Amino acid sequence: MSVLKAQGLTKVYGSKGKMLYRALNDIHLDIQKGEFVGVMGPSGSGKTTLLNILATIDKPTSGKVEIGGVDPTVLNDKKLALFRRRELGFIFQDFNLLDTLSIQENIILPLVLDNTNIKEMEKRLQQSAELLGISGILDKRTYEVSGGQKQRAAIARAMIHQPAILLADELTGNLDSKAAKDVMDSLRDLNEQMGATIMMVTHDPFAASYCKRIVFIKDGAFFSEIRRGTNRQAFFQQILDSLSVLGGNFDELSTVRN
Amino acid sequence: MNFRQFAIKNVRGNWHQYIAYFLSSVFSVMIFFIYAAFIFHPDVMNGHIYAAKGVRTGMMFCEYIIVIFSFFFILYSMSAFLKSRKKEFGLLSLFGMTKGQMRRMVLYESIATSLLAIGAGIALGALFLKLFLMALSEILALDHPIRFFIPGKALLLTAAGFFVLFLIITLFTLFQVGRSQIIDLLKASKKPKSPPLASMWLVLLSVLCLGAGYYMAYTMTLSNAILYMLPVVGLVVVGTFFLFTQASIIVFRFLQRRKGIYYKQTNLMTIAQLVFKMKDNARILFTVSVMSAVILTASGTFYVFFLASKEQQMDLLPQSISFYEKGLNTHAVLDPDKVRTILKENDVELAYEVKLVGAVAELPVVGRSTDTTTALVVSENDYNDYGQKLHRGRPILAVEPGHAVFVIPYSEVKQPMTEIGKPLPVQVEGGTKELSLTVNSQVSGGAIAYPRSDATELLVVDDAQYQQILQAVPDDKKMVVYGFEMKNWAAQGDTAAKIEALVPEDMKDAFDNRVAMYLATKQSMGLTLFIGLFISVLFFIASGSMIYFKLFTELDEDRDQFRSLNRIGMTLGEIRRTVTMQIAIIFFVPCAVGIVHTMFAMKALGNLLSTSAMQYSLVVVGIYIIMQSLYFFAARRSYLSRIIKSFTS
Repeated sequence: MSVLKAQGLTKVYGSKGKMLYRALNDIHLDIQKGEFVGVMGPSGSGKTTLLNILATIDKPTSGKVEIGGVDPTVLNDKKLALFRRRELGFIFQDFNLLDTLSIQENIILPLVLDNTNIKEMEKRLQQSAELLGISGILDKRTYEVSGGQKQRAAIARAMIHQPAILLADELTGNLDSKAAKDVMDSLRDLNEQMGATIMMVTHDPFAASYCKRIVFIKDGAFFSEIRRGTNRQAFFQQILDSLSVLGGNFDELSTVRN
Repeated sequence: MNFRQFAIKNVRGNWHQYIAYFLSSVFSVMIFFIYAAFIFHPDVMNGHIYAAKGVRTGMMFCEYIIVIFSFFFILYSMSAFLKSRKKEFGLLSLFGMTKGQMRRMVLYESIATSLLAIGAGIALGALFLKLFLMALSEILALDHPIRFFIPGKALLLTAAGFFVLFLIITLFTLFQVGRSQIIDLLKASKKPKSPPLASMWLVLLSVLCLGAGYYMAYTMTLSNAILYMLPVVGLVVVGTFFLFTQASIIVFRFLQRRKGIYYKQTNLMTIAQLVFKMKDNARILFTVSVMSAVILTASGTFYVFFLASKEQQMDLLPQSISFYEKGLNTHAVLDPDKVRTILKENDVELAYEVKLVGAVAELPVVGRSTDTTTALVVSENDYNDYGQKLHRGRPILAVEPGHAVFVIPYSEVKQPMTEIGKPLPVQVEGGTKELSLTVNSQVSGGAIAYPRSDATELLVVDDAQYQQILQAVPDDKKMVVYGFEMKNWAAQGDTAAKIEALVPEDMKDAFDNRVAMYLATKQSMGLTLFIGLFISVLFFIASGSMIYFKLFTELDEDRDQFRSLNRIGMTLGEIRRTVTMQIAIIFFVPCAVGIVHTMFAMKALGNLLSTSAMQYSLVVVGIYIIMQSLYFFAARRSYLSRIIKSFTS
């Protein structure tokens, strides 16, 4: 079953009379339920624009998006926000946890906003906290825990309302290698054990090696696609090869880990 | 771009933060200038306008208040600005700006803003001066309005005075600049805020202080007022301080434990953010609460005094035209027919008329310097008839023969002035024999007609006995109290003056004109209110600007938070609700605390004046709430638009 479907996405920046800049050019993407898809590309290739459109916070100039059978471009602002709240889960590079709330409160925030009953909230909180190995820090404050723990709390928040798809943006970008590995392990467990559908934008080959499928884009257009076999080590090498074919500015590439 | 232009650009860039402070400064300059223009007005200075003399003294007093207040307000605002710009200073020193340069930059900035504030204040002042002088002339009832004139001295004093004030404060605050380490400056806003802690003991102290202060205010009487006054103020201030710094946190903690409330949609965000901001906000909220209480109590007191003196006049002079005559058919003071003629000529209708005939009697009293007093013996019927016409809650009396009720005009005097329940010897003037009457009770504040001379106190007796007593008294020994109550009396100043003119000079003591008395009080109160009003508004604007500034210092941080919340699916409506709730709390909680303080202050004042000051002051409180609401809506609007604008960009 298709969870996310993008057809002919094009995004053009700039107004009349000015230089037009084509950030995305005719992108097609189809993500099935339970898939773990990575999107890679050099700086300026349009990764973030693509993610923003799929996240419904930006609108395509042309093309069509469908998430869980709904076209978000026809929704008004309020319905769109509710749609994001119920159907999408977000994981950001800089966590975006609120300092004013405890870890636990941060995680249940989407449920609180939706007025879920408290028993249900606590049940789901325990489930996800256990899966992500953060049960021990629920009462702590955001500045009392490590970056890896923060990101796992952010993952818990992104999935607690059981969204149709999880969208992750460079989620290991602010983490050291150990924390990055823990976070990616958690994300894999989520995908494999709970069947969560995940789309992740990254330029870190190590993080990308956890994906089952990787789509490469360059200059806003589809470039190539690779699928993982059983061996992650081999897949990692395959990613590095593809990146070198892709070329472009990869000086932001993080050091090879593992 | 040279250095000076850079500094001025900084001000322009930060205008959202500056605006409320700037407007408050402009307003204080304006008020100062208008008052100064009056004080140095040549016609006022050389005493051409007699009535303006007292006003001038009052205004000079106000000028001192403005200067002292402005000093603290500007000092507070300036140092708050510098604190809010720590990160900017860190960045500048990272780029190699020296301490000296940074101080020069701040100096340029504040000179620019202060010159602008002084200029705008004086310009606005000059604009409104004519209106102010006209209003003042109207209140003083001057025949020729005070002419428009801007005295050079006022201009100089305002411009130079405020410039020096701004400069001194700037030099004061410059010490703060460039003292911290770069790394601390850069991290200033990033530092995680730890959740505030509260001690149960301090909360208890707060409750005890407020409770004790309120109790003392509530039970304050004339005898203990001097003793209680300062402790009450001290207790309430201490109690308020801990109420905001400690008790507020306990309340929020309690809410956070109630999951049914806390985990309900936007409550989570609202409460959690308030808890964190409470630590920074507590002091501001405390200051604003105390300021609100001061503004409200001061304005309320003026207003209550005005109303109370009106009430007192209504009680002590039940009819607007009143006089008394010795002798049943004597018209030495005024002929009632002439009064009626004048009323008819001027088309003034009478509400009712009083002609109270009685006999003067002497009876023993207790607790006074003399052993006996004189009172007017009147009939039960007359008392009840006239008493009910006043509509001021006079009792209906029922007296048996041989008994009497003693009526005094002063409501403050509660203790009996004669022995109650014991036969008393009463000697009626011109009467043949001594009577024995038993006083059943005393009515305090029960005057029904002009209580003056021998008719100050009344002895109300049974109708039959009254007839009997009066029959024995010759007509020329009888006393008659006349009263004329006009309809819409407060507007009949001219007619009342015509009637008063008929009274012979040596008989003025036996006559009173309540309309004239009321108008005189009204004028002086109106004047006090008018001058005090500007000071109150100044305090009000300044206290609001502190809140406003606080709000906008946190704007950047809040904006990031709300942007990420919007990303994960918080609707604009929910964000609006959260923001509105938070702003409403910081605007209205101090307002509410100030009002409660004021209510107790008014209760104390009411006890002292024996009026219901609390009810009268509701008018002032109502106006205050309306003004605070306007401020709140303005702040909310500009805050929300800045938050929401950031989502689309």
